[in-house]
Amino acid sequence: MSGQARRWEARCPMDEMNEFENKLKQAFLRRPAPPSLKQRILQQRNQRRTEQLHNRTVLWQRLAACFVLAAVIGGGLTWRHIDQQRKGEAARDQVLTALRITNRALNQIQTRLAAHDRDDHE
Amino acid sequence: MARDWQPDFERLVDEHQSMVFSLAWRLTGDRGLAEEIAQDVFLELDRNMTRMESPEHALFWLRRVAMHRAADALRRRHVRGVDLWIEIEENHGAPPEDRCSPLGARVEQLLTTLPEPQRAALVLRYQEDLTPEEIAATLESPLATVKSNLQRGLKLLRAKAETSLKDYVRPGKAMGGALSDG
Repeated sequence: MSGQARRWEARCPMDEMNEFENKLKQAFLRRPAPPSLKQRILQQRNQRRTEQLHNRTVLWQRLAACFVLAAVIGGGLTWRHIDQQRKGEAARDQVLTALRITNRALNQIQTRLAAHDRDDHE
Repeated sequence: MARDWQPDFERLVDEHQSMVFSLAWRLTGDRGLAEEIAQDVFLELDRNMTRMESPEHALFWLRRVAMHRAADALRRRHVRGVDLWIEIEENHGAPPEDRCSPLGARVEQLLTTLPEPQRAALVLRYQEDLTPEEIAATLESPLATVKSNLQRGLKLLRAKAETSLKDYVRPGKAMGGALSDG
């Protein structure tokens, strides 16, 4: 067998393979996508965005509601604290006034008793 | 470095829907499933639009996600060759634009009988005209595995084709050096 023939023999399977590969490439051309595919994708995308927007709105509404609730509870607790403080101060003022009155009365009694003792000694 | 390219979702869908759909169909053998996968892939793209750096990056990303989604769908459904044959046979009722050449249809039938890794490698090689290196990057597999899958897949496909596609394939004696780019 000549060298050329051997070379041809060796190349032949490769040629067949290339031919097969070429046929595969032809057979594997991209298939066209269904005409409605793009429309469906865009529709789902819009739907998802609408849902996201809705979810975001709901989230903000919930956050706002939580904020208002926290403000109401906080305000209530603060008001209660201030009210108790105010009542406490009023009670303390009353006690001080009562003590002052008692003190004055006791002073008067003491003055009278002192005057009475003095009259007895004389 | 500033990015000049601004991704346009609708344009990307226009340009690549056929690619994504074809990859999913050829990998799963199920037209309906392929449409679902294509929709999922593009919705995922919409979520990741800000991360796209260039048209090439978007194309690579779409190919990779489509292949992964199709493989996941296959695993979930446990689709077997026989089921795929039935599905592809049903394509005779598909709209004319979905019908491919008789050879294409028969090669696709044979393709569905191959193991999934070999099928994935062959589809990327012959549909997308990727090199083994690009296939390895897309499938996130070692290059040697991809080359092995390509060679084995091609051998197996050719062997099957010789018995069932006699009109199209000349019977060959040996199968060596099949990967022109690899």
